[in-house]
Amino acid sequence: MAKRIAIVEDEAAIRENYVAAFQREGYRVDAFAARRPALDAFEIRLPDLVVIDINLEDDVEGGFELCRELRARSADLPIIFLTARDSEFDAVSGLRLGADDYLTKDISLPHLMARIAALFRRLDAMQKPQGSESRITRGDLVIDTERMTIHWQDTPVGLTLTEFWLVHSMARYPGHVKNRQQLMDAAQAVLDDNTITSHVKRIRRKFHAIDPDFDAIETVYGMGYRWLSD
Amino acid sequence: MNLKRQLLLVSLLTLILPWAGCEFIRETESALRSGQQQMLAGTARALANTMAQYGEEFPLADPAFDSSDQLYVHELDTQPTIDGYFDDWSLQSAVLKSMRGTEGPVQFAVGRFGESIYLYVEVSDRNVIYASSQSIVLDDGSRHADRVRLISSNPPYLRESIVFAAEAPGRILSYKQSAYGFAPEPTVSAYWQDVPGGYRVEARIPAALLGTHLGLIVNNTDDAAQAGTRSSSFAGQTPGASVRLSPEIERVAAQLVQPDMRLLVTDADGWRIAAVGEPGGGSAGDAARGFTRRIYDLLVESGTEAVFAEPDPRGREQAAYISAALSGTEMASWFRSEAGGKAIVAVAAPIKAGDKVLGAVVLQQGTDAILSLTNSGLARLINVTLIATLAVAATLLGYATWLSRRIRQLSVAAEEALDNESLQSALPSALADDEIGDLSRSFSSVLRQLGEYNEYLRSLASKLSHELRTPLAIVTSSLENLEHEPLNEAGIGYTMRAREGADRLRRILSAMSEASRVEELMANFEPESFDMVNVLRSTVTAYSDVYRERRFAFDCVLDSATASGSPELIIQMLDKLVDNAVDFSNVDDTISIGLHTADDRLEISVMNPGAPLPEKMRTQMFDSMVSMRAGKNTRHLGLGLYVARLIASGHDGKISADNVDGGVVFTVTLPLLNA
Repeated sequence: MAKRIAIVEDEAAIRENYVAAFQREGYRVDAFAARRPALDAFEIRLPDLVVIDINLEDDVEGGFELCRELRARSADLPIIFLTARDSEFDAVSGLRLGADDYLTKDISLPHLMARIAALFRRLDAMQKPQGSESRITRGDLVIDTERMTIHWQDTPVGLTLTEFWLVHSMARYPGHVKNRQQLMDAAQAVLDDNTITSHVKRIRRKFHAIDPDFDAIETVYGMGYRWLSD
Repeated sequence: MNLKRQLLLVSLLTLILPWAGCEFIRETESALRSGQQQMLAGTARALANTMAQYGEEFPLADPAFDSSDQLYVHELDTQPTIDGYFDDWSLQSAVLKSMRGTEGPVQFAVGRFGESIYLYVEVSDRNVIYASSQSIVLDDGSRHADRVRLISSNPPYLRESIVFAAEAPGRILSYKQSAYGFAPEPTVSAYWQDVPGGYRVEARIPAALLGTHLGLIVNNTDDAAQAGTRSSSFAGQTPGASVRLSPEIERVAAQLVQPDMRLLVTDADGWRIAAVGEPGGGSAGDAARGFTRRIYDLLVESGTEAVFAEPDPRGREQAAYISAALSGTEMASWFRSEAGGKAIVAVAAPIKAGDKVLGAVVLQQGTDAILSLTNSGLARLINVTLIATLAVAATLLGYATWLSRRIRQLSVAAEEALDNESLQSALPSALADDEIGDLSRSFSSVLRQLGEYNEYLRSLASKLSHELRTPLAIVTSSLENLEHEPLNEAGIGYTMRAREGADRLRRILSAMSEASRVEELMANFEPESFDMVNVLRSTVTAYSDVYRERRFAFDCVLDSATASGSPELIIQMLDKLVDNAVDFSNVDDTISIGLHTADDRLEISVMNPGAPLPEKMRTQMFDSMVSMRAGKNTRHLGLGLYVARLIASGHDGKISADNVDGGVVFTVTLPLLNA
């Protein structure tokens, strides 16, 4: 059965384009222009994935509201913010509300599709028993590529999709320097230097929360980052 | 001309004070003068009245004689030796009366000492003919000689003469010629002296021997056989009455004259018959006061008075005011003494007996009192003015210094505010309620507006990029959808081009929002300590891979240098500077990246060979949306260096650009934790 994607976007042209793209990929799409009609529809039935713009018509923070309400209803409903707002602050706020990804509208449709597909894949993998073939182990680090989860010292690290891909890209070949372009490609996104820096910073912080001595990600100044494994 | 000089110039206006003061002093002086003149005139009138009682002492003008034929008998202070020399006479040579002789002027003088009359005669004569024993007294018809005769008479009765002739130079015997004949006169002592070009005769004659009228006759002959020529001091048959000082009048005058005053009494012809006292003044202080006096004379028109004339040495007063008195009109006149320039007032009053003018009383008085009054006033005035001028000048100077200091502070503060971008800061004098305060406030408001404008420019880029992102998303998503539609060859080409355009637009937008992203990062980044040498060395190595058409040199002698901040941001800043350096240099140029310590600062420099920076851009180019690229590279919006500056100032650092020999160097100074 085709997955249902709900898109809440007040800009008609973008909405239509995304609807067309999603449909082309074989998804069923429900499109909403504002928070109210979307919530009303979700009362009846939750979609499989929601793409939300933050700025909804006159409702400046409408997307955040919506995300909070949806997350209250379902803990594992994949939620993606797709917005023109590129500030760090908004991104952090969005992710704190439990969104699985925070994307700016710069993102290309193929990248978006890849991410959506990945999220669905993860959702599916969660339902299946864990298979060891999809595991990568680097010392304390365990990466489950199917479920897209990462454990550090047996504790799950709550990473977003982008963060997961970045860690995955670095840890797959420990000791190899991954430059920004390579990291960008891995994360299926076009990111500028500062965004990558912020992502790495966030990743480190999340690991630090588990292990204060974490120092597996090394900055190679002027080049990129590499995963150190003992 | 700066404010200080202008105000000093204005302070010169106080010099008008001494001028005004001098005007006042001049007024005072002229009032004092007129008072003194009136007082003197009163005295002179009283004296004239007194003198009028001594009418018998005034020789009457005799219309039979020309007054110029009269001889003046000078009073001698010392007794001359009879030796043919004039220099022991207590008189100046100016007293010598001159008459025409055959071979040049005959000069002579008559003096009186005690009861003797002295005669001195100088005769020009190239060929002196001495008398023989026959001709010594009288020309005998065949024998003639040069001789001098003093004619004496008491008209209308007597006409006698004392004859001086010499058989040889030296002491000579004189003869008296009277109606009774010739006789040697042994009471007369005489001396004949030959001098080059003539001879001199000096003689002493008892006064009793002579009458009231005296004259001189000189006989000059060049040949003992010739009678020769006669020169005479008078025109008629008998000479005019001789004039001498009247002891009686002098005695009276001496009682009446006041100190510091000179009293002259003249007869009706102006012959001086009494002279008592000195006009006063001329004290030694005058020279010392000459300086202030000169200033006074400079400031106030100097006197137009004639130079004061001493009493006429030949005995006859001919000054205009005296002549006026002799013709019956009292007159005053002001003079200036030759030495010291002090003023002397002189008044001449006629002495009248009935309608007849007997003579004149002349009073002369110096104005020492007035002078000292004006001088001390002048000195005080000049001192006070000088002090006042100095005080005013000093005050104005201080005031100007204060004013210009405030203005300078204001301008320095305004410039600093401009340089440091602290456009909201308060300027000096902002609370003052004078014009400088106004200036400061309007400066502040201009700076504030400039700051707001800069703020607007700063936010413009991020706002613009934010606003453009949605339409760009429409374009890109539409194009991406379009790629899935069946398109012909041409359609695919167009779509591709549109994609490329949209891509470029996206990059521009991302560059535009970079500044605000960096600001955001800086607002909440946690500074970490890192080794700058390590970071830079690694980064510079990376540049060689990125920019393959440039060479990079890392110039650093330090082993380590710890700085605090975000190495990522420092690298980003370096990226901007290197990007800039690459753009402004040519293929295969070497870009030098240096790291040095200076005191407690860390200096990162990026030098590229290339054209120098235009001077006017030097400070602006770190501002938002200012680009030096002359349209050759459109992806630059003038944000790179702005981001670099943001990062530098976020690390308490400063960024600057300078032209160096053959290139441009950008320098970032950061605090150094330790080397």
